[in-house]
Formats: sequence, C-alpha cells, structure tokens
Amino acid sequence: MTVKKLIEKIEGEAELDFSLKNGSVEDVTINFGFYRGIEEIMISKAPRDALVITPRVCGICNHAHLMAAVQAIEHGYAGTGISVELTDKAKAIRDFTLACELIQNHVKWFYLTILPQLEHLTKEESKENHALKASYLSTTITKALAIFAGQWPHSSYAVPGGVTCDPTYVDVMQAQALVDETVRFFEQVMTGISFDAYEQIDSVAQMHEIKGDIGRLLYLLGHYDMAKRGQSHDRFMVLGETTGFVQGKSIATTIANVDVRYVEEQPQSGTTAKAVTYKKRQYEVGPLARAMVAKDPLIRSMHKRYKDSLLTRIFARMHEVAYLLRICQTLLKGLDLRQDSCTLEGHLLASDFEGIGMVEAARGSLIHKTVVKERCIENYEIIVPTQWNLSHGTQSEKGIAVEAMVGSQSMDEASFIFRAFDVCSVCTTQ
Amino acid sequence: MSAKAKPALLWLQSITCNGNSHSFLNHPDLFSILSHFELVYHPILETGQTIEKMLAGTLPCDVLVLEGSFRQKGLRKNGVEVLEVALQYAHKAEHIITAGTCATFGGIFKQKAPDAISGFCFDEAEQTPRYRQYADKLISLPGCPIHPKWLGYVLMMIADGRQIPLDEMHRPQELYGITVHTGCSRNEYFEWKVDTKGFGLKEGCLFYEQGCQGPYTRGSCNRILWNDISSKTIAGTPCLGCTEPDFPRTTLFETKTRMGIPETMPLGVPRRAYLTATGIAKSFKIKRFEERIITYDR
Repeated sequence: MTVKKLIEKIEGEAELDFSLKNGSVEDVTINFGFYRGIEEIMISKAPRDALVITPRVCGICNHAHLMAAVQAIEHGYAGTGISVELTDKAKAIRDFTLACELIQNHVKWFYLTILPQLEHLTKEESKENHALKASYLSTTITKALAIFAGQWPHSSYAVPGGVTCDPTYVDVMQAQALVDETVRFFEQVMTGISFDAYEQIDSVAQMHEIKGDIGRLLYLLGHYDMAKRGQSHDRFMVLGETTGFVQGKSIATTIANVDVRYVEEQPQSGTTAKAVTYKKRQYEVGPLARAMVAKDPLIRSMHKRYKDSLLTRIFARMHEVAYLLRICQTLLKGLDLRQDSCTLEGHLLASDFEGIGMVEAARGSLIHKTVVKERCIENYEIIVPTQWNLSHGTQSEKGIAVEAMVGSQSMDEASFIFRAFDVCSVCTTQ
Repeated sequence: MSAKAKPALLWLQSITCNGNSHSFLNHPDLFSILSHFELVYHPILETGQTIEKMLAGTLPCDVLVLEGSFRQKGLRKNGVEVLEVALQYAHKAEHIITAGTCATFGGIFKQKAPDAISGFCFDEAEQTPRYRQYADKLISLPGCPIHPKWLGYVLMMIADGRQIPLDEMHRPQELYGITVHTGCSRNEYFEWKVDTKGFGLKEGCLFYEQGCQGPYTRGSCNRILWNDISSKTIAGTPCLGCTEPDFPRTTLFETKTRMGIPETMPLGVPRRAYLTATGIAKSFKIKRFEERIITYDR
C-alpha cells in the first residue's frame, strides 16, 4: 500500500510516498516540488553578483551560500595566479558570522521542529511556548552576526579578499555580550548546567547530568524507545573547512581524506532535487558527520552505543551549538583590528576563471562552482547538503534518509526521523 | 469579524526562499505583535492548522500576508495552484500585505521566467491585472528580505485601527518616504564627495565606485537598523537596491558612471543640481575626510 503525506514547515514542503506493509514502512520516495532556477538565473551575470543572488537560495542558511560563493571566486582568482591571502582578522570574522548562522539554525530547528513534533508523537504536550525561545535565541545571535555583516538574513558582506566591514572594539564588545547571552541561554534554558560542566561531559555515562530542554529531549527519546531508531548507512562526509571543522570522510569510525572530484550529481525522476554521491556511494552530511570526522568524544561515545541513530543525529546538532559558541568566544577574543579587512582591490580582478567554494552550512557540506568567461558567469552549480541526505539512493543502496525511515512502525515516526535531518526544501529546489 | 474577535492573520507562501518569514522571526516583539491577531496559518510557527486545510481555502482570513512571487500556473502544492489559493484569501481579507520584493514586484525569482512570474499586484513597476481588484486593501512592503520592524509597524497600525499613509505603489510613507541614504554613517563623505579607498574601510562613501544604490533606493534601513544594530552601508556593503521594483540590477558591486559621474542620480535630484553641488564640494580638500578615523598603532 502506498500513502502520500505532505510534510510542512521544513523551509517549504516535501511530499513523501510511503510504501507500507503490515503498518511498517518498507520504502519511501521523497519528492520536492517547485524548481526556482537560481543556477540558471546566474548565467551571464557579473561574477560578484553571485554574492547577492545566491544567498537568496535560502532564508535560513543564506550566509553559508554567501561564503561558498565568495570562496568560489577566490579559488578562481587563485587559479589565474592572483595571490588571495586573507588576514586572520577577515578569516575570523567570516568564521564567526557563519558560526552564528549555524547556532541560529540549530536552536530554531530544536524549538520549532524537533521538540514540538516529539511532543506530538509521544503525546507529552507541554504548555511551553517553544517558539518564543527560538525567536529570542535567534534574535540574539543574529544580532551578533549583523554587527559585522550588516544584516541577517541576506547579507553580502563577504567580498573577494575579505569582508566589507571595519569593526571597532565597541562592535566586538557588543558581539561578545550577545554571545555570552546565548551561552547563558544554553546553560539556563537548554541544559540546566554550567557551560563548563557541559563541556566536561565526554561519554554517554555522564549524559544524565544534562537537564533543561535538551534533557527533556533525551528523556522523551529514551522513554519511548526511540534511541536506536533511524539508523542509516553509517557513512559521513565533511567537505568544508572553517574553524573547528575537519575535512574528511568517516565510514563508521574510520577516517579518510576526501577529494571533491569524486562528488557527482545525478537527476532523479519525479522530483526536482538531484542526488549526490561520492564515488557512487551515499554519505550523510551535517552536524553528526562533522562530529564523527572531528572525533568528538561525546558523539563518538553515543555512536558506539546507538550508532547513527535518531538520537545521535539529533543530539549531535544540539551538541554542535555548544561547540560553536566556544569557537565564537575564541574568535572574538583573538580579533586584531589593526589588520586589514580586505586585501584585494575592489574591482573584478580576472575576466576568465573557474572556481569552487566549499563550506559547512547548518545542514552539511555546501558547494558552489562558478565558471567565468569574459567577465560573465558562463555556468553556476550549487550542491546543497539536503541533496546528500535526502536522495532516493542508487540501484544498490537506498538514500540516507530513506534507509533511516525504513522499518519505522508508523508514518508519524518515519516523518519524525525525516525531520531529524533538518530538511530544507528551498535549498533542495534551488 | 465580531467587535471583540482578533483579526485572523494568514501567512501564505508562493515562490520564495523563506527569508521574509525568518526575518520576521527576529522581531524582538514578535509575540507581543502576534498577540493582537489570531494566527491562522504560518509557514514556520505552529497554529493548529495544517497546510492541507490552508490550501483548501476555507480558513478565516482578515489580514493576508503574501510571501514570494506568483505565476499564473505551475506552482502546485498538494495538487492545488497556489495562486488560486491566494486569490481566495485575498478576496476575503480586509488587508493584503505583500511581504518582500518577490511578493510585491516579482524579485529575484522572476528572472527565471520573466513573462510568467510577477509580484501579486505589480510586475516590476507595472500594475498586474489583479491590481484593480485588490488596490483598496493592498499594502506593499518590498525589501529582500522585509525588515522585521517594517512588518511589525504595519501589523500594529492595523491592530490599532489606524490609517497607514501610502505612496502610489502602496508602500507606507513612514517607511519608504526616505531613502536608504538617510541616516547612513557615511553621510559626511557623500556631502564632500569623498569616495572610499576600497572595501573594508569605515571611511568614505560607496556611491562613486562600489555600486551603492542608497541615495536612490527607498527604505529606512539606516533609520530603523537591521537586527537592531547595523545596516549594509554601515557594514561597508553597498546598498543593493533590494526594495526597488527592478531589483536585482546587474554588476552590483560597481557604480555605473557617465562621464565619471554616477549614472543614476540621488532620488529626485536633477543631474545639473548634482553636478553643481559636486563641483563645489570637490573644489575643497578637507583633511579630516582623507584620514583614518582610528589609528591603533599610534
């Protein structure tokens, strides 16, 4: 029996076609609807217009698109012999603002998607206004981002050679205060323990110390026997290289290097989303992948007991919030404002080039490729994280999310497993 | 709507990136604003109604917020044309707010199919055939994305039963009666025609080389700051003209010039007046405007 279900509030919608047998999920087809054509819109535009147009792929991870777009141009410049050497200051500011966007995303996902959906699923509704928490945290941390980037969403402040802003220590102090406020929120609302105490937790055995809303999440998943559900191929990929993240792939716990030349896109029938593989195989991207490749002790410990399950996947995203907050503090503390913000001239420096930019967006590795001829974009390609996680799969193996959903006892449970990937419909249908 | 009932607010998305929804979620008074309405459907916030119910066109709707650009046919959700749903609610609503440049003028996504895709009541600066029918309830809020405070202002004006002064394109005059240039931290440099020496400097004006459209773009970005703290031009990024009907223009990081003078003049300023003022300003060399504001190593 096949049943269609429209999944909403995932940055747009997706349609899941469930094949059911005796009530359990045997297979799922994931379909995304309307294609907007950003890649086509880019053709024949000026190369740097990508810094304005491509963030509009996505309202929630627009900053990551900006970073991938600027890196693609810089990579292209470097290929023509132009020296592209960013100052530590420019690099730190870029990494800081990107980290802020990830924190914003993860916390919103937790309070607007995961906690309410889990409460519906387990019929353990609380009277809490989760959305208020999401909005407060998002407002706070994107304000820190906007000090440097001018605004969020849809900043275009990263330009070839650095950033457009020229902050003062007054600005830096305001950003530090906003990060500290976010840390306080993490302590008092999300975990119920001090940040230092949280960072000491490095194994499953100590996780009972986590209280607050994340503690409630752990309780609900454990109590309703969902901790080991949603396992997939146990293969992970990280392509972006920003402060704190390590490039590489991990098959279970074995780490190896990666080469972007093996990344391939294929069209799929019945959906506007293209599938992505690495050497023809499926890989999961996102916070769980980043923690596995970076050998994070706590996530490794969870993986040992629960594998790449729903629990590990959801917790890895929340754990990354703490990890990024610490990085934010370090980056701001280390800023030396005497250095230049931008080291390249303001005009377009090469008329013909090809470049590739890879960053870690909230949902995983994001790739932009630009081909420029006679000062105009000839071809533009964007590969988004959701394409990795939500493809239909190949002849020999199911896609990452499909594999995770198969075997679910109900469509509601499968839908929850689907949402645990932090699905972004608009990115997928760029 | 009875005298006591709160107006029903319905948020409908068409061809969009969700940026307007996320921008509004960053309004610090979000829930106090929403407390004046009955939120019937929203693409991110829970309302107790499903998208299937919303698409059926049967929910109550007094205030309709539209996000994203529209095409006559070809954008179907759950088998239903989204434009048809929008029209059903537009018919019921007392106020229609086009939130963002896509819903207002067509925006970026229009460029994929310029003949088929437009805003709800405008196609760039031209009125669409729908305009006539909905003009009396239309409020245009262009911006890519919308500024959260701009939408908050409109919603509270509606909640308080106040009349919103609008311009000929139905934009609130309190928000769009000025340009992005108003309140810019680089105004002194504009006055004395001192351009910036490159990106990444707090000194100098971005109008002459870096493509800044602030002097001829309507919007209050530098009066009501973004995220309550900054703006593009404060952060050294040129204004990209994102509130204008023709957004996005091309070669956005370069100023198009005619005989060394920016091609597009500040809003309403005759070229001759601009040239005269520029000639006078440029005949002086003001030392303070040639120097860095802060020298850390001194």
